[in-house]
Amino acid sequence: MKRIQLSLLALLATLAATAQLPHPDSIRIDPRLLDMVVITATRTPKLIMDVPVVTRVITEHDIQAADATTVQDLLQAELPGIEFTYSMNQQVSLNMQGFGGNSVLFLVDGERLAGETLDNIDYSRLGLDGVGRVEIVKGAASSLYGSNAVGGVVNLISRQSTEPWTLNLGGRTSSLDEGRYCGALGFHRGRWNSLSNLQYTHASPVHLSDSGDMRTIYGNRTFNAKERLIYKASDRLTLTGRAGYFFRERDKSAEAHDRYRDFASGLKADYTFSDRSDLMVSYAFDQYDKSDYTLESRLDVRNYSNVQHTLRSLNNLSFPETGTLTVGGDLMRDYLMSYQFTDGGNHMQYTADAFAQWDWQPWERLNVVAALRYDYYSEASASHLSPKLNLMYKLPQVSLRAGYANGFRTPTLKEMYMNFDMANIFMIYGNPNLKPEVSDNLNLSAEWAKGCYNVTAMVFYNHVRNRITTLWNQELGGMLYANMAPVSITGFDLGTSMRWDNGLGLRLSYIYTHESLDEAGMRSSSTRPHTATLRLDYARDWRWGRSTLALNGRLLSSVTCDEYSSLSDLSQVEERTYPGYTLWRLTLGHRFARGINLTATVDNLFDYRPDYYYSNSPATVGRTYAVGLMLDIEQWFKHKDK
Amino acid sequence: MKALSLTALLGLAVLTASCDGLFGGLYDEPAAGAAYGFIQTDPDGLGGTLRIDATSYTRWNYIDLLHQRIDTASITLGQDAPPEWDFALHRYDVKTHGGAAAETPFDQVGVASALEGLHFVSDADSQVVIDMSTMMEGYLGYASSEVNPVLSTWLHVDQSTMPPIYTLSNKVYLLRMADGSLAALQFTGYMDDAMRKGIVTLRYRLISNL
Repeated sequence: MKRIQLSLLALLATLAATAQLPHPDSIRIDPRLLDMVVITATRTPKLIMDVPVVTRVITEHDIQAADATTVQDLLQAELPGIEFTYSMNQQVSLNMQGFGGNSVLFLVDGERLAGETLDNIDYSRLGLDGVGRVEIVKGAASSLYGSNAVGGVVNLISRQSTEPWTLNLGGRTSSLDEGRYCGALGFHRGRWNSLSNLQYTHASPVHLSDSGDMRTIYGNRTFNAKERLIYKASDRLTLTGRAGYFFRERDKSAEAHDRYRDFASGLKADYTFSDRSDLMVSYAFDQYDKSDYTLESRLDVRNYSNVQHTLRSLNNLSFPETGTLTVGGDLMRDYLMSYQFTDGGNHMQYTADAFAQWDWQPWERLNVVAALRYDYYSEASASHLSPKLNLMYKLPQVSLRAGYANGFRTPTLKEMYMNFDMANIFMIYGNPNLKPEVSDNLNLSAEWAKGCYNVTAMVFYNHVRNRITTLWNQELGGMLYANMAPVSITGFDLGTSMRWDNGLGLRLSYIYTHESLDEAGMRSSSTRPHTATLRLDYARDWRWGRSTLALNGRLLSSVTCDEYSSLSDLSQVEERTYPGYTLWRLTLGHRFARGINLTATVDNLFDYRPDYYYSNSPATVGRTYAVGLMLDIEQWFKHKDK
Repeated sequence: MKALSLTALLGLAVLTASCDGLFGGLYDEPAAGAAYGFIQTDPDGLGGTLRIDATSYTRWNYIDLLHQRIDTASITLGQDAPPEWDFALHRYDVKTHGGAAAETPFDQVGVASALEGLHFVSDADSQVVIDMSTMMEGYLGYASSEVNPVLSTWLHVDQSTMPPIYTLSNKVYLLRMADGSLAALQFTGYMDDAMRKGIVTLRYRLISNL
């Protein structure tokens, strides 16, 4: 197997080496990145080359090349240091460079998401249809986004219709009996711009093994519908309305299914006072429910509901030759009803915040961004100040960045008030006296870009205090939410990408992460120290269309950690090593004339199967195949017009 | 049309201002409040459906099919069983009153119609869990008891994963009581609609002649 992998890598390396390299004068930066405007790092639109915080962008082209159905597939294919695994009860759990799902803030068009399970949002809500790009900012960002932005921010940004009308219909099926079917209708005419998306997915149960921590992956179905309508009322005023519905059903057992629903909607008004001043005000609603559906009685009983209402304002003021001041604030009502509260009860809290950011360019080469945010949480009676300072110094072809940012995560209603009988085995108790998690993040980076080549290196250091976890409490005879000893997470991040005019592109990324407790204790972290991703792609135009070939690889090292062998005697610890692995995906696509797109994918190309399925093993049964078809219907009519 | 669309979206957003959320009418109320005991009886009075609250680890639930009675007795308090009962349930453990049980190939209690080839097994000495609170300390509290090894296979609980995986056998069992009379039993559920484990539902049918 290794020989095959090496042969393929050698072949790819030869391809890259023998590719017809363009003359230096003709090489150029990938145009997809040259004019890329990003928004997540500063909450104001800036060219990616001018942002003082390293921002990784996954473009619509990348999403198509990765042939990803879920945001998990996409992030894992594109970024090292990210691992989605199954935790208890087959719930998806994220580890992003030592930070769990509750320390990485996921946003959709800047809006946070309601609901969580085992400290992770429902990632299957994040369908990739209609997504124009994904922006990832690593490190703390609470000075702009508040709680949960401890380890990073992932922002999915919807695309806007640019054509008079578009209609895309697609389907994908795999040898694992998984299916994805989607449709998108968009129009852009006059003052109106609309994009409607429908997506249905299904997956049959997958039997992994007869032993192991994971045995059978439950089958499931999802349905996702969303609409966004933009009305440009005048040259100064733009109104945006959106609504979305999500449904997921998981075949947990022969008697009962788990159901998950979400309804999200929002209104936003953008007003431009002048070319130096604009104002955005918005209202967002998000409700995430969980229910148990009993097949025999056909009763669908809700046992969890998280409802969030958010009011927001954001104002940008530009001062000529000085900088830009951004000020804003949010007011949120957070309601949670849960089966994990006493008698299935509910709790509610208000959060309020105000923030200001100064984006200053004292010299042509130097950019300074400083921000400060104050957050208040009513139920926790907690408040927090989150500062940040970012510097960028530009040299010819080199950008140097340095930053300090503070992050925090306030205790959730669940962590404060849980009173839950865990399968008649033990109780889990909330703790209203929890302190917020706080992190200090330092990073230094250098980016070199010339022509079609780009190299980025970054070192980072995070010091996390009061991380919230559950610990066994002898007095209560159960698990109790508590703050733990400080943790340090350090490492470095190397990345390079290149794209030649002959259609060949290569991107390599590697991250080293080291997580340690400040105090002597067990090595509880299962963060893999070495992770890398590779993508090699090639595109060629023919008379009969455009062909693309993409190879995506994920390489993850083994990790050794300590685990309790007895929860009542914390001195009893055993060492466990989780094996490393690599997974490769080969995608061949062809775009015929008249908007017919065919895709064929070989997943797990080298047929990797874990010897034992740990909870953090990839849930793969070996090599699988998938085919997809996407029709851009509007292209048919364009053809006729000609 | 476009204005209508925007108005609809605006209206939708305003409607969503319900503070504690939407969908109230979409869901069902759990039937957990329904009565326990003999919740349904066949017209001839010889069969029906039972729902038993077996959530307690410290209690046996004694079922008298003929008189349609359920009595309970605490294990930890040393309470005695009632004078008349046919079988008893403790969580998912089942014992008989001096009888025996056999698994049949049938899938409905009404068609349990022949004894040929059935292997009846009597109760055997065993232990039942009466205290789960010490599980995290590495041990459980047990009490000695007789258990019927055939009837107790109605539910397989795989505890190698968390939470455990529950699998119903869906088999029809024949219970031969001490006086030789027979009853067909089929366990159909181990939880209520609120997913509370230990709420056991079963179909039964007294069999007068086979």
